[in-house]
Amino acid sequence: MNILIVEDEKNLAREIAAFLKSENFLCDLAYTGMEASEKITVNLYDFVLLDLGLPDYNGIDLINEAREAGSEASFIIITARGEVEDKVKGLNLGADDYLAKPFALIELLSRINAVARRKFKVTSQDIILGEFIMQIQPRKLHCNGREVELTKKEYDLLQYLVLNHDKVLTRHQLYEHIWGNILDDQYDSNFIDVHIKNLRKKLNAHAPTPWLETVRGVGYRASMEQ
Amino acid sequence: MIKLKIKLAFFNLLSKLVFTALFLIFMPYIVERINLRQVDKDLIQKREQVIDLISEVGIEPFIASDSTDTFGSYNILKEEFVSLERFDIEEDWNFIEVTSRLIEDEEIEYRVLNYSFLVDGQKYLLEVGKSLDSILFARKNITRVILLFLIFIIIITLLTDLQYNHFLLRPLDKITGKLKGIANPSLFDKTAVKTNTSDFYHLDHALRELMEHIDELFKKEKEITVNISHELLTPVSVLRSKLENLLLREDIESDMSVKIEESLKTLHRLQSLVNSLLLIARIESHQFLREEIFYISDVLKEIVEEINPIADDKGVLLTEDFHQDMQYKQANRSLIFSMFYNIVNNAVKNTQSGGEVILKSAFQQGNFTVTIADNGRGMTEAQLSTLFSRFRTRIDQNEDGTGIGLAIAKTIADFHKITVSVTSEAEKGTIFSFIFPEIS
Repeated sequence: MNILIVEDEKNLAREIAAFLKSENFLCDLAYTGMEASEKITVNLYDFVLLDLGLPDYNGIDLINEAREAGSEASFIIITARGEVEDKVKGLNLGADDYLAKPFALIELLSRINAVARRKFKVTSQDIILGEFIMQIQPRKLHCNGREVELTKKEYDLLQYLVLNHDKVLTRHQLYEHIWGNILDDQYDSNFIDVHIKNLRKKLNAHAPTPWLETVRGVGYRASMEQ
Repeated sequence: MIKLKIKLAFFNLLSKLVFTALFLIFMPYIVERINLRQVDKDLIQKREQVIDLISEVGIEPFIASDSTDTFGSYNILKEEFVSLERFDIEEDWNFIEVTSRLIEDEEIEYRVLNYSFLVDGQKYLLEVGKSLDSILFARKNITRVILLFLIFIIIITLLTDLQYNHFLLRPLDKITGKLKGIANPSLFDKTAVKTNTSDFYHLDHALRELMEHIDELFKKEKEITVNISHELLTPVSVLRSKLENLLLREDIESDMSVKIEESLKTLHRLQSLVNSLLLIARIESHQFLREEIFYISDVLKEIVEEINPIADDKGVLLTEDFHQDMQYKQANRSLIFSMFYNIVNNAVKNTQSGGEVILKSAFQQGNFTVTIADNGRGMTEAQLSTLFSRFRTRIDQNEDGTGIGLAIAKTIADFHKITVSVTSEAEKGTIFSFIFPEIS
């Protein structure tokens, strides 16, 4: 897929690009609003990552321009302003999602994938995890024909690990994904450990879970390359 | 509280009543004085006429020179009389008095002019009298007419006063109306109130200017927080992406990943700190809306659900004890959630295994109150005093979190006009009470 990254902070733009390239996206960069405006009208993109805090351009205008030019690109807005109004304004103007800086690259990827699934109406296939079968829509987990009862949070956690399989996810990345940013006092909490512990307990009651790995000192990983 | 226009009308009425009362007391007296003077003038005129007549025709036609007769004449209604008699007193009389006279068995009060004069060496006394009945009657009538007139005037003016006051004070009503229920200066109606009363014009003008000024300040503050957050969070963002990209590389050693994760953790701490400070700044500069309607117990239940796994894991019992519930109007749900979440989470953290945290909600003295009580390690007085400050010293070095959670909770409480009180005893436990403002 083709992605345009519109971000005036070159360092950040390059990091995002490096990450997305490793995930097999085609990346194009625009450091200014003018540059972005040109590129949007000339090229066809599937995604535009748009920083709203561009010094030379009102990011919202770019969405309008793209729509007028007939672009069908999905917009994901990035902002360090973190204002609720920006979010609402952006989503009203046809942005597909919204991320506040600083965000996890993994989170960005899963947002892109989620938008892509919606956009291209990909029927999500069941994911096989050892003896477990994970259904994305509707959200269900089965083991040898029996449904595994999970709380919403436990399911979210598992799904996030599984969708980002074979990558180590740090506790904070997991925490941020599930609880969002509003509870800001929790950078060092053991929330994730407790939930993983409970999750393991529930899963192990059905079948062993060697694929759910703890990476010592770093985080957790759902390993599917066996 | 009484409205200004009612007060004004009331004062007008009162002053009119006092004025009328005074009028009613003094008017008859004045009327009487005026009447008497008129009567006296009349009497003097009559006297002149009689004297003129006597000097023309002599005294004989009235009183024969040798008789002891007196002359008297009054009209049929006995309103007036004239009498002439011989007078044997040395001194000269010329005065007016009020005296009763018996005429045909009827005692009538007269105003009488007594006048003595000399004709052919004989002294005579002339009396000219006028009945006071007519005067008294006039007084009664005038009093009645005046009374009726005044009542009529009072009613009419009271009604017109009310109407006029209402009209006159309409701009003031509009101004107070604009101020009522304003939570945020940006919501203030900035259109000028139409008036040609200079006081109202100045009041309205000053208010609008003030509101605009405050609004401007809020906007500036908002801009500053937005800019600061942009400036601080962008470098954090760059660093974070770099470290995350490093962590994803497959060629790094595991001890290196641990170091990277540690750096990320430190960075998260910075991020969380910046975000917390920004959150406080945003709340304090009123960038959050308070217009959600929800039940407090729903929020508390949600929090219990969130924290229960952690409490469970730690062996702390989390108990709900919701006696009463309150539908909260004009509040920000996610902020209220954060407020209670921080406190409950803190309570669980500070309670050892086997301890208990109780969430209670009930009306106390008319105010809805939520208490969060733990039997954890508690706090000393010194710790209590700095509890809500942004960068207090930590209770112990193992404590996690930035310690800013309580400051956030306090800011949110202030924003919602919720009173927070804390009682704590070292090694016994802590009780946080949130007293909600009365629902108007």
